[in-house]
Amino acid sequence: MEKVQVSVMRYEPETDESPYYETFEIQPKKNMTVLDTLFLIVEDQDASLSFRCACRLGMCGTCGMMINGRGRLSCRTKVEALGSEIKVEPMRNFPVIKDIAVDMEPFFDSWQKVQPYFVPKEDTDEFSIIPHDDKARQVIDKNTDCITCGLCYQSCDVVSMRDGEFLGPAALTRAHNLIADERDGATHERLEKVTGSEGAFECHSFGACMEVCPKGINPMESIQKIKTKKLKKTLGLKI
Amino acid sequence: MEEIQTDILILGSGGAGLFAAHHAIDTKPDLDIIVAAKGMIGKSGCTRMVQGGYNVVLHPDDSVEKHFYDTIKGGGAINNQKMAWTLVNDAPDRIRELETKMGVFFDRNKDGTVHQKPFAGQSFDRTVHKGDLTGIEIISRMRDQLYAKPNVKAWDEVRAVELLLDETGRTAGCLMLCMGTGEFIVVRAQAVIVGTGGAATMYKIATPSLEKAGDGMAMCYRAGTAFLDMEMMQFHPTGLLAENSRLNGGVLEEGLRGAGGYLMNADGERFMEKYDPERLERSTRDRVSRAAYMEIMEGRGTTLEGVYVDVSHLGKENVRAQFPGMVERCQDVGKDLSVEPVEISPAAHFQMGGVHVDENNRSSIEGLFVAGEDAGGVHGANRLGGNGVCDSTVFGARAGRAAAEVVTPGGEPAAYSLSEVHAHIEAATAPLEREEGENPFYIRNDLKQLMWEKVGLVRNEKALTEAVEELQTLEDRVNRVKVGGGRKYNVSWQEYLNVRNLVSVAKMVAESALLRTESRGSHYREDFPASDDERWLQNVFVQQGKEAWAEPVEPTHISFEDVSGHKIERPAGVK
Repeated sequence: MEKVQVSVMRYEPETDESPYYETFEIQPKKNMTVLDTLFLIVEDQDASLSFRCACRLGMCGTCGMMINGRGRLSCRTKVEALGSEIKVEPMRNFPVIKDIAVDMEPFFDSWQKVQPYFVPKEDTDEFSIIPHDDKARQVIDKNTDCITCGLCYQSCDVVSMRDGEFLGPAALTRAHNLIADERDGATHERLEKVTGSEGAFECHSFGACMEVCPKGINPMESIQKIKTKKLKKTLGLKI
Repeated sequence: MEEIQTDILILGSGGAGLFAAHHAIDTKPDLDIIVAAKGMIGKSGCTRMVQGGYNVVLHPDDSVEKHFYDTIKGGGAINNQKMAWTLVNDAPDRIRELETKMGVFFDRNKDGTVHQKPFAGQSFDRTVHKGDLTGIEIISRMRDQLYAKPNVKAWDEVRAVELLLDETGRTAGCLMLCMGTGEFIVVRAQAVIVGTGGAATMYKIATPSLEKAGDGMAMCYRAGTAFLDMEMMQFHPTGLLAENSRLNGGVLEEGLRGAGGYLMNADGERFMEKYDPERLERSTRDRVSRAAYMEIMEGRGTTLEGVYVDVSHLGKENVRAQFPGMVERCQDVGKDLSVEPVEISPAAHFQMGGVHVDENNRSSIEGLFVAGEDAGGVHGANRLGGNGVCDSTVFGARAGRAAAEVVTPGGEPAAYSLSEVHAHIEAATAPLEREEGENPFYIRNDLKQLMWEKVGLVRNEKALTEAVEELQTLEDRVNRVKVGGGRKYNVSWQEYLNVRNLVSVAKMVAESALLRTESRGSHYREDFPASDDERWLQNVFVQQGKEAWAEPVEPTHISFEDVSGHKIERPAGVK
């Protein structure tokens, strides 16, 4: 394989006036991911490069970054699919801590706002009997694989345009999973929380969230269902 | 330097750490608790990486006695029986809590009851799961529940550097490092719960999350706790081979074997027929891993020095439906698990050994609790697949409750020594000051190679003796590390702290392995290839400043005569 040029954004907000780019040459090999190239840089070329990762298998959702202009998990992005030049930048819509490592607080602040925790409807210790082809479960199960990587949040133009004053795709999807969960007892409360000025009705249905999700989740579908439920509720119908 | 006071400090945010937090605050809601992890809370550690599932007795035809028996047999009969009994008895409560209080939703049967699938080494199909990525659901929902408990503060990317004790040896808190800013913080606490996970990452091929480095174990060692069974390092039989990438070693879950998957050598033979003709691929992890390793060593491995796992005969659609996460993982190396064999290797996975604690997770140090992989005893010489998340949740909860019992909301923690803190900081920051020195990543690579070759799946006295010496050399190199860059979010500096801890834990593993002159569970000595119940129904202990020693296992719940099949009887397949 031919060598690739990896151009990485460098930025230390306290000391650098603005971000700049540094280019490193890497010899790619079979199976190598963008995360592997970042490790090669830090091991052999520049020990001061900052980035975040943990599981390296697409399970933890901590290595999201912009790779050639698109949000991706670096651990699941193959070098050979990217051509001879790779540009690596931090996720947008997040403050940079240093270089590629961002502060994910805006994402989790939104997450927290939707009351993301299950509130048991009944005080029971027994598993509820729910057939595996249950209709509500089928809607939920498609969306439970979220690894909270923030890629949908960073791709969302409403989040950008409103400077974070939009809950964003992942938090709304989480909220809908709970709203649709027949075991949960905070349905109405939560529906109000996610249909206010930062909520589901602000979504412009650009669809970038669905495009970038590494788990194939379609947040727009959940957002649409929240809207429908809210309208039904307003009309006094069963949600 | 900042100093912060709390009631209970919890290190680690896997199943142990998060369950400890929930049960501590539920026991005493007025407590102030900090849960801190070197990764992001809920996103680091290995509970999140659990694929297959959670062993628990729920079905009326199953029993805790059977689960207990399986656990002891699988563990080569050197488990701490009190802990194993606690494990199987508490597990049903924890799984119900996860489902009915935390909001986890486990997979169901057609009739709506919870589904339990077959796992290796078990007499009943008792593994509860959520698809083939069970841990993400468990950890995410537990993380979410923390938002309902504001007295528990979640600290992302703040790693523990050194435990702090007072003059009389009581727990006083911990020296922490905020990785983003590079600043140190002293956290004073009446109790500390350690649950940072093991150090299987010290091996060339390993399954765990990259940040795991046995931090908790290394700190406990330096603080003076005793350890047991450190020679017992589990190798998972089916680690995905991905040359040139850190994907290497990613687990292909146990359920592949449970569902009837074949393991084949390069000649296309189902080699388990030779090693365990009765259970074949559904034999326990220790036996399957060793068999695969021996095949590879005897020249029947693939070009990547692996063997194959093949589930294609289970049907393409079926495999894709049952194991979507595993299919996706294999795609990363260009293979389609549903239609073709995939190259795998045994991969270092889990440490059965750990800090010596009681069944309420109390260590020998007052106020110091240890739970999850950092603690030893419950799994003996080999852990059953599906007993890991069971362990971390059961004992995390117990540690949380036990710690809550001994602390007072707002109470004064024991006094720490500032001069000791300064000494710890000096040692931790020395590599930033050096003009030149060793590269910590290169030391890690050498450590991984050394452990794989000399303290790996097949061991002998000569190799282990050499390993003990070479680990000393590596430790000297660690003391000469230089890292570039500043303190802020410095990945290389963190790697120095990681490798320092990994070498400490590696020394315990090698030293313990040298003492156990028999084979049992995951510890296989080619110079002593059979289990010796006469002499070795014992646990090996190590402690700082002492020679390793052995103590007999106490048969508190079941007598050894009643456990059959726990021994390695014959040197199967060995020349």
